[in-house]
Amino acid sequence: MDNYIKKFRQQKGLTQEQLAQQVGVRRETIVFLEQGKYNPSLNLAYGIAKALKVKIDDLFILK
Amino acid sequence: MTIKQYKIIKLAVVIIIAFIFSQSVIAQNFFIPVATLVVSALILLFLRRRVSGVMADERDYQSGGRAAILAIQIYSWVAVIFMFWLYSMQDTNPDYEAIAIALAFSTCILLLLYSFIFTYYNKFKLTNKKFLYGGLIVLVMIILLLLTLRVFSGEDNWICKNGEWIKHGQPDWPAPTVECK
Repeated sequence: MDNYIKKFRQQKGLTQEQLAQQVGVRRETIVFLEQGKYNPSLNLAYGIAKALKVKIDDLFILK
Repeated sequence: MTIKQYKIIKLAVVIIIAFIFSQSVIAQNFFIPVATLVVSALILLFLRRRVSGVMADERDYQSGGRAAILAIQIYSWVAVIFMFWLYSMQDTNPDYEAIAIALAFSTCILLLLYSFIFTYYNKFKLTNKKFLYGGLIVLVMIILLLLTLRVFSGEDNWICKNGEWIKHGQPDWPAPTVECK
């Protein structure tokens, strides 16, 4: 699954650490997510969408 | 406390435990290492609660699950191979049989434990008959424990005494063919 987490995060001016703190995960998980090497749970996906103030549909693309 | 500080303390505790363990083995005192282990676990548990920040998240749990399955598979295969090898070598040293039995039982217990825990997470959490299934699990564990104690109790065995194999209890197998020294 591809995603635009990095793009929206940078638009919001957040660091990976800040985003990780907001959604309650480790920074490494954000790195893995941004590189498309990890598919988040629904809970985490919603958490990230909420933190970045975007719709979940706009954040993730099903290949 | 930060995660980094916690990890440094954890490393220091591990080094201290290793040192105490080695000294206790030399001194043949087994109370000190057990006490050290309990105290260390309590200290780490207390410190972990004071850590600000996320220690582990869903990705860690997922990786942990995969790592656990792989570790169990590797251990089981290695233990089974060694078990057969030790059984085949028991004529050269009768002690190999006890090691082979220990390996076989540890593998069985590990796999059973894994099955129970897997069933708990996979099905048990959804059921309404928790007491019934919980009771059954406890019963099976008690039976397994009793069987294990029975096998390892050494009540029924052949003992080497003054160059002769002497029956201890009622072993249902013939005396070892190897020379009793």
